[in-house]
Amino acid sequence: MKAAFSIVTNGDSALDIRFDAEPSEALSRHITALAQAIEAQQWQGVRELIPAYQCLTVCYDPLLCDSPQLSARLEILANRHPEVSASKSDQSRLIRIPVCYAPEFAPDMQAVSAHTGLSAEQIIARHTAPRYLVHMLGFTPGFLYLGGLDPLLHCPRKATPELRVPAGSVGIGGSQTGIYPQATPGGWQIIGRTPVALFRPGHNRPFVAEPLDRIEFYPIDSEAFERFDPDTFSTRPQEPAA
Amino acid sequence: MSIRFIDAGLQTSVQDLGRTGMMRYGVSQGGAADPLAARLGNLLLGNPPHNPVLEVTLIGPRLEFQCDISLVVTGARFTLTLDGESVENDQVIQARRGSVLNFGQLLSGTRAYIAFAGQMALTRIFDSFSTHLQSGFGGCGGQPLKKGDLIRFEETRTVADRQLREEHRLRYTGHPRLRVVAGAEETLFSGETLERFYTQAFRVTPQSNRMGIRLTGEPLHCAARTQIISSGLCPGTIQVPPDGDPIIAFVEGQTIGGYPRIAHVISADQHLLGQLKANDRISFEKVSLARAHEILAGKSALLNQLTAEYSCHSASD
Repeated sequence: MKAAFSIVTNGDSALDIRFDAEPSEALSRHITALAQAIEAQQWQGVRELIPAYQCLTVCYDPLLCDSPQLSARLEILANRHPEVSASKSDQSRLIRIPVCYAPEFAPDMQAVSAHTGLSAEQIIARHTAPRYLVHMLGFTPGFLYLGGLDPLLHCPRKATPELRVPAGSVGIGGSQTGIYPQATPGGWQIIGRTPVALFRPGHNRPFVAEPLDRIEFYPIDSEAFERFDPDTFSTRPQEPAA
Repeated sequence: MSIRFIDAGLQTSVQDLGRTGMMRYGVSQGGAADPLAARLGNLLLGNPPHNPVLEVTLIGPRLEFQCDISLVVTGARFTLTLDGESVENDQVIQARRGSVLNFGQLLSGTRAYIAFAGQMALTRIFDSFSTHLQSGFGGCGGQPLKKGDLIRFEETRTVADRQLREEHRLRYTGHPRLRVVAGAEETLFSGETLERFYTQAFRVTPQSNRMGIRLTGEPLHCAARTQIISSGLCPGTIQVPPDGDPIIAFVEGQTIGGYPRIAHVISADQHLLGQLKANDRISFEKVSLARAHEILAGKSALLNQLTAEYSCHSASD
């Protein structure tokens, strides 16, 4: 992909490589590839690479690298329009995430229903149909920015955010859908909850997904929600009847 | 070998210099809100710069020592006593088994740091001991310390008495002038708004925390806020949300931001953000990017010089 870009200073210790194109899968692949290419250079003083929908932020240590020089090097690299390496393409996974859409976990289902004119069943069917693309992680630890929400499910954020949305809550905010990794304040319309922990610090797999992975939601009932085992990523078998 | 919290204080947590390379997963760098103060304590004790310290916020703890250990308090000034005797910031304090260190009234600044001549027995997460308070991991169970908690040490040392020279001690006025570089969206603000930004003193609001420092003043309005491209949000970046009150992203901030960025507190001055509290007043002065880097290099050289100087002392003790 050939993508027009500009390099902009983002404070005194970061540069933004901003792309002109609208967010898309192709652009996210390009940004991921560019991040890989930068990483492979092992430039001294490059501290963080933060991908976003239309931007790659490169944080640097001003004591270890010179900003104009870094900017010039990034420009050369970005102009080579790198491709996602084969290994990364192979690693792109489909991750199936169970969601319980039962009323006790879906306080805003009625509001979404009223806004979209769809029944709860139709909302669930449309929410579980797509394979969402992970564009990036960020905002808070483990939060997934997903692309691919059915336009019929687009729904405005709440005028007044809730003070506390439980961890695992699955919501719709504008044209996005996502999962709250931690209990935080939030303004999205909550239509379900997943027993999957999106962020498990200290575990060998602390994050559920990487950019370019695919996410599919599948509906589970309250009982399966209780029996979900985050270690095996599956529902524990029922206890044999006594 | 441990210390016990007779009282924990308002928000006392284990911190070091934070995490690097995790922002792409949404994990902000975290670490000491005033890393310079944290480093000075470790420096006086001959510790490596990222040895974990306790960060004390506004109301300090009361600590009982169950071993002999040397320590240093830096950063915010409190009325400090060890077994009822007055002790000072910026110098080695010798605690004995059974000693009690008490933080009394806050005199200046917001956050004090307690560095110990020893290694706390804690688990590293993503290569750091820092407590990430917003996300609840790291340090001691991801939480601030509570009354009755114990922190165990793997090893403890005592070091010779030593103090920072007067000219190297940090002072906090409560109305700092912070140097900034232009923000990525500066051009979206009118000349009048920028003038207002650089000439007024903003008040720090009580909603400020390690995630962000929230300011209030004459509101700043942005011409076109619809066309902002979300990108990496680093500590020090000053965003202007629609209500016109700026927010300075801080050590536990979100990793991606989408509000227009008017300016960015230079890296060399960010340690001062850790000493701000509600109702402090801050103003901003613009410098060039090259100047920002020069100031940082200057502060870093001074820190290296101090490290060399005090480690010489330690070798001759």
